[in-house]
Amino acid sequence: MNSPQPMNLRRSVFRALLDLLVTLLLWVYFLAGTLILPFYGMAHLFSNDREATFQGMNSRFYRGFFRLVQWLIPGLSLRIGADVRTLRSTVIVSNHLSYLDPILFLSIFDRQKTIVRSDFFHYPIFGWVLKTAGYLPSSANGDLFSTLMIKRVEDMDRYLSTGGNLFIFPEGTRSRDGRLHPFSRGAFRIAARCRAPLGVVRITNTHRLFPPDRFLFHTGIREPVTIELLALLHPEWDAPDFSLNDLIARVQALYDERERQERERDFAEAGGPDGKPPAEGAGTP
Amino acid sequence: MTREAIEAEIRRIFLQEFEIEDPAMDVDLREAYQFDSIDAIELLVEIERFLGSELTMEEKKRAMDIRTVRQICSYVEELVRARRPGESLPIGDLCKEGS
Repeated sequence: MNSPQPMNLRRSVFRALLDLLVTLLLWVYFLAGTLILPFYGMAHLFSNDREATFQGMNSRFYRGFFRLVQWLIPGLSLRIGADVRTLRSTVIVSNHLSYLDPILFLSIFDRQKTIVRSDFFHYPIFGWVLKTAGYLPSSANGDLFSTLMIKRVEDMDRYLSTGGNLFIFPEGTRSRDGRLHPFSRGAFRIAARCRAPLGVVRITNTHRLFPPDRFLFHTGIREPVTIELLALLHPEWDAPDFSLNDLIARVQALYDERERQERERDFAEAGGPDGKPPAEGAGTP
Repeated sequence: MTREAIEAEIRRIFLQEFEIEDPAMDVDLREAYQFDSIDAIELLVEIERFLGSELTMEEKKRAMDIRTVRQICSYVEELVRARRPGESLPIGDLCKEGS
């Protein structure tokens, strides 16, 4: 009979090898993406609306990526709210946990724009795809980026009115501890400028599927990856007492409330004493 | 148009549009108030309203490097001069710019 320790070791080695294999296959998918470059080239030459065509092609490519992820990791549950999928002409704000978050949004929406790290625009081919798809640079430093930023923001009203979505992670960067970090105003400012509805979306567990400091996908993930619409807000932009800071605080409160509910549920499921909710801060690292 | 008038208008815009009350003249707006490039583009809309004329792309791009309220005032002053070449600022106002 095997002792438990070598069994655990064998299981860990098997799991690590599986993680490596799945990650490599997913990278192969990415590299195979170069095979569809001729289609981008043809769209560039012949499409009447290059921006929309590129966005649609990006969306299909990443839809294929997540189909492959689900096929390779059968235990993964990917739950995307139906009300998220139907969002249109909306500025979407979301928490940010993993590099997977933006491409998950790309896969959901046919028409989508977002803010991308400025240095990515300098990459050959990738930068061209980003520029043609109409994405926004993260900074406005230098001639190229200031021109791009101004044009994109000024055109946003037209873009949203034709059914496109703009998704932004107002924390600016991935959260390393799963907690919400202070929001920057950019997304809210653009929504106000365009008088657009504001979709407040919450992502969970993508950091468990592809952790921030790890090269490998985690194939043993047990928690479902979810994308949930917390609220679709239609602020009274023109009200005399409208305040962008108040709106941001309201959105942050929505996330806080949802996290509190989740903590209470987890605590109850874990059989907390008397089924009472935990005190504030309990159950967090 | 005097430097004081420009400064008063910029302060009004900061209070009304950005909810920033009485910003110091030389503080870095990005660091102090997280005033980012999207805010700056919104500020340009307000400046266009104030001037009653549209800015060119070159003028807008120049604004992207601005960091302080004093720089914004100088920027608007230049725009006023460019639109009304004959109009000069009172000497006192010009001295203030360098102070």
